[in-house]
Amino acid sequence: MNEYEQAQQTFFEESRDMLRQIEDALLALESNTHDDETLNGLFRAAHTIKGSAGLFGFDRIGSFTHEVETVLDRLRAGEIALNGDLAALLLESGDHIGHLLAETADGSDQPETDAAGAALKSRLLAWCPSPGIGKVAVSTPSAPAVASPERPWHIAVDFGPSIFRDGMDPLSFIRYLGTKGDVIGVTTRIDAMPAADAFDPEVCHLGFDILLEAQCTKADLTAVFDFVKDDCELRITAPDAEVERWIGVLQGMPAHGKRIGEMLVNCGAVTQHELTRALSTQQDTDGVAPPIGALLVAQNSVPDQVLQVAVTRQRDQRTEESRFIRVQADKLDSLITLVGELVIAGAGANLLARRAGEPRLLESTQVITDLVEEIRNGALQMRMVQIGETFNRFRRVVRDVSRELGKEIDLEISGADTELDKSVVEKIADPLMHLVRNAMDHGIEMPDVRTARGKAPGGLMRLNAFHDSGSIVIEVIDDGRGLDRDRILQKAWERGQVPANTELPDDEVFDLIFTAGFSTAEKVTSLSGRGVGMDVVRRNIEALRGTVKLSSRPGEGTVVSIRLPLTLAIIDGFLVSVGPASYVVPLDMVVECIELPENTPNGASYLNLRGEVLPFLRLRDVFGIEAPPPVHHNVVVVRNGTSHAGLVVDRLMGEFQTVIKPLGKLFRNLQGIGGSTILGTGEVALILDVQALIDSATRNAARQDGTTTREHTAESAFGDAATSSTEN
Amino acid sequence: MDENTLTIDGEFGIYRVAELKPQILAHVIDIDEPALALGNVTEIDAAGLQLLLFARREAANLGKRLRIGSASPAVEEVLHVAGLSAEALEEAVP
Amino acid sequence: MTRTAEAATVSAVARQFLTFQLGGEMYAVGILRIKEIIEYGALTAVPMMPTFIRGVINLRGSVVPVVDLRARFGAGPTAIGRRTCIVIVEIEADGESQVVGVLVDAVHEVLDIADADIEPAPSFGTQIRPDFVAGMGKVAGNFVILLDLARVLAVDEMASVAAAADADALPPVH
Repeated sequence: MNEYEQAQQTFFEESRDMLRQIEDALLALESNTHDDETLNGLFRAAHTIKGSAGLFGFDRIGSFTHEVETVLDRLRAGEIALNGDLAALLLESGDHIGHLLAETADGSDQPETDAAGAALKSRLLAWCPSPGIGKVAVSTPSAPAVASPERPWHIAVDFGPSIFRDGMDPLSFIRYLGTKGDVIGVTTRIDAMPAADAFDPEVCHLGFDILLEAQCTKADLTAVFDFVKDDCELRITAPDAEVERWIGVLQGMPAHGKRIGEMLVNCGAVTQHELTRALSTQQDTDGVAPPIGALLVAQNSVPDQVLQVAVTRQRDQRTEESRFIRVQADKLDSLITLVGELVIAGAGANLLARRAGEPRLLESTQVITDLVEEIRNGALQMRMVQIGETFNRFRRVVRDVSRELGKEIDLEISGADTELDKSVVEKIADPLMHLVRNAMDHGIEMPDVRTARGKAPGGLMRLNAFHDSGSIVIEVIDDGRGLDRDRILQKAWERGQVPANTELPDDEVFDLIFTAGFSTAEKVTSLSGRGVGMDVVRRNIEALRGTVKLSSRPGEGTVVSIRLPLTLAIIDGFLVSVGPASYVVPLDMVVECIELPENTPNGASYLNLRGEVLPFLRLRDVFGIEAPPPVHHNVVVVRNGTSHAGLVVDRLMGEFQTVIKPLGKLFRNLQGIGGSTILGTGEVALILDVQALIDSATRNAARQDGTTTREHTAESAFGDAATSSTEN
Repeated sequence: MDENTLTIDGEFGIYRVAELKPQILAHVIDIDEPALALGNVTEIDAAGLQLLLFARREAANLGKRLRIGSASPAVEEVLHVAGLSAEALEEAVP
Repeated sequence: MTRTAEAATVSAVARQFLTFQLGGEMYAVGILRIKEIIEYGALTAVPMMPTFIRGVINLRGSVVPVVDLRARFGAGPTAIGRRTCIVIVEIEADGESQVVGVLVDAVHEVLDIADADIEPAPSFGTQIRPDFVAGMGKVAGNFVILLDLARVLAVDEMASVAAAADADALPPVH
């Protein structure tokens, strides 16, 4: 890819980001139309797309975006107000720009798209009457169209008492200010002057209020008082134009990693001196110190509106962090691969050092190992992205689907700044979509039903994320009708999934929804309130080494909790061996390890684990390993859906954390092996895909059902397990 | 110059305010229609200005109006910088 | 006139081939695809794969599959000997390059073979599938089989063979 192509690539990527921002902004504005900052952001995003498209000569994109920009400009100026129709039109227009981008990117311009564009254009034009045609009815402006008349700088200064004795003349400062602009008014204050007897004429009690018209910055004006800054009270109030300029600078400023004070100083709203003063006040405060912004406002250093912009900016920036440096994912991947190698090489060196028994060498390799570990964590950290962007996409989904369904549903997002690996984020979007749609479709009731049940007519969907002991937990929460546990159980009895009239705890009942075929039954969909394909959702989540759990209260709603590893690049593994081969079992699949009872018959494929049937697979047989078996076998008890299964191995070698290496295309059809990793010895160990291994054994058992009697095949235990598991 | 007028000549600044304060205060207290002649002031600074404002306040506290009989260019300039003028100074303190 | 000139140019170009031994037969591959040759060692077998996929090795941090060429040609697995080598080659598959190790009995030498000395592949008569053969090179009066590595190591084909193997991968325990 040459530089030009690369630049184009960046344009497409950035434009897509911008479109996402436009969409988010529009959705945000729908609920709060008076947010100027969001409006500005909206306009800027469209403007950027238009400008960059022009740069590359993508006129198709440029000219359409121009129309959108014009409408946004009027919206920003308060000439028109955002209503449902306009929001819908702008959202459609955003989608259209997306199509144009996609078609331009693969050079596949479609005439239909142009036709759609023309239709949208004429609708957009309706919002932009050309001058002279007369006024089209517009809604009330949401913000004043023009800025209030320009105000001059207001400088209030109270000089310190010793200024005369220090040989300085306060008036000279006012004269000097005159060189910076036009002093249009001065008021001299003597409020602080004591009564006649106490008045010492050599002590200064003067204060001045100065109005100055000047094209300068607050810092320039502060500099005038530099000589006496420690000993006078100086408050500078900026003209509106300047305040707007600060706000403008703040909005364009990358806020990443910056503190509020720093941002305010950088934009010129606060001087370093004012900040220092506020910081020392903050330090001197006993107990809980107020935030620096509040102190700055309290000491009149900055207008509250400017502070609010800085605060918002800082908050927004956190969610936009991913836009700071664009690094190609494969570059990062190869860095992580290299660091992974470094970890392995380090382990090798460590091994040698231990063998050499040289303490100083051991010590230094240990230091290196620790550093490498840190580097690896840092490298992985770089791939971490916030889940907010994924969450935000659901605003549109919730909006569209709720309209479609005739329901009023709001989406509330929390924990948007929770980070997880990019590869996980990409793969979680689909299952989330499924869950959100399901909850809206079946969980949340129609407004009249809700009202009848004494609930607010509008439903609430919540997406929440947080970190919990090395995992990320994502929750999809609705305040709908909840799951009907009795109907689910009934259905399970009918299906023979659970022996009739056997009671189960709530969580096990809810878990039934995730079993294949269960939710597809039409009756259950309408009864239980959950739609099709929950088994697919679970499978997708488990493929990410995650788990999913449901909890629900009738009439109050349902919570789906998804627990995922933070990264797919690293796995906590449990190392086992069979003959000469080592295998890694993902630690989160491992329940416990036991020794295979010596009296277990050779042909048996299940054992009695504290009174329960534990079906097992002998890895030696499954993998066709011919090495002579050991005297004692071990069983790794692993999760198998809702129940357990065993893997019989030779030796247990303990837990370790390791970098996952994909096996490549050649092995893409291989079931039961999820990837590989390199051990400290340099040897490659295969990572078991426990679920696939067991599924495959279960399928085999099913296939052989016709030819062999159940009791005598190894696999039949699994066949039974699927149905007997729920008995426990 | 009548006795109702206190004339201040030459320098009217930080080096003289300590000496001038009792004179000016006495003048404001003693004279029914106190006036200051500042036509021969060669130099005045903020300390001088402050003393003038002090005099005006004290006069006002006594229900009197302080008149500025004359003002040199130096005085005019300082009053101007401070957003005042001889006339403004004479007006009753609000 | 032009044709003659072209032909002369082409025939003057000699390409380099690596020759190696496999089950008593001599084969050659163009050196452009070869990245390196390593000694056989520390191979991890991958279960449930056809015999010709011998396993994977750790090549400086990358996990690389190793294809047993003899088994790929349908002649049973290669016995590991003192001179057994893994030839690391890079092949293109679906526009992506994939690094694969090839297990051979012994590596011989790099030879120049002029285009003029390369005969088209015979439609039958070789021990291996005709589509694996790119041509027959004449070297000192003998023929060596020039392999079409893209065909021999076609990832798609090998992966689908693996899938078929996987279907029978779990043998009954008895």
